[in-house]
Amino acid sequence: MKYFLLLVVMLSTTSLMAETVISSKKANPLEEKVSSIETDISSIETDISKLQTVVSSNKKILSKASDVRISVVGQGVAPMNTFSPAQAYALSKRAATADAYRLIAEKVKGVYIEGQDLVKNMMVKRSTVRTSVQAMVRNANVVETTFKDGLCEVEMEIVLSHAQFAQ
Amino acid sequence: MRSRDGNSSITCTVCTVVLLILLNSLALNAKEFLISYRYIVRDAILYNEKLSISASMKKCQGKPYNPLILPSYGDDNIQLTIEKNFETFLDYIYKLGLDVRHSSLTKNAQNSSTTILTLKTTCFKVDINENFAKIAPLK
Repeated sequence: MKYFLLLVVMLSTTSLMAETVISSKKANPLEEKVSSIETDISSIETDISKLQTVVSSNKKILSKASDVRISVVGQGVAPMNTFSPAQAYALSKRAATADAYRLIAEKVKGVYIEGQDLVKNMMVKRSTVRTSVQAMVRNANVVETTFKDGLCEVEMEIVLSHAQFAQ
Repeated sequence: MRSRDGNSSITCTVCTVVLLILLNSLALNAKEFLISYRYIVRDAILYNEKLSISASMKKCQGKPYNPLILPSYGDDNIQLTIEKNFETFLDYIYKLGLDVRHSSLTKNAQNSSTTILTLKTTCFKVDINENFAKIAPLK
């Protein structure tokens, strides 16, 4: 009877040890994920603190003394069914200009971002990010246009002055 | 009294006719037109472009500013003049200001985007003759 009881105790302890080993092995990737998320959170917190310091110092981006020059490079591609290189250039230039306008609008006014992730059974099923921007852009100047290998690049700049935004 | 030049009356008539023709060619025919422009870029490729020009049926309010002068190459039609100088006209309306609407969707790491640039319907005062056209928006 004694030996039987000892055997039962030994078996139970070995099974418990095995469970703890498996659970510890399972926990490792989760711990890694948790630690990476924690590092991300800490980096975001530092960014927020930096922004708070900028806001608290009341540092104005636009001042009366100096203007702000914003420069962007928009890219556009010609469609496949063009009849000539000139047509391809004209069409890709339009696309590149629109892209440059979009970049200016994003820099000056900001972007609305909406993200949505669907996780099912611990797996990401669908990940969606929507961005949108709407603005009116005036007095933007085209600085340079280049067209190479079917890609058109338009460098565009806009000068923002304090007087434009003064109320 | 008769002048030494016996053909003075003929010379004067010719001069007057030439002057009248010159004045007539320089005489500006002012009209008001409603112009709108819009183009759509989808995934960095031009998808659709539309320029609409129509004569205003009602008198527009405002004063002209920031005029653009285009050569009309003998046409007194504003649509043809703009079509012949379309790149110059585009650069001009870029300066006037365009409405930008952009939206992009990234779904499972695949991105698609649409950008719409619009010149909202604006009334332009157009002075046109056989030599040039002067276009100015009203504000």
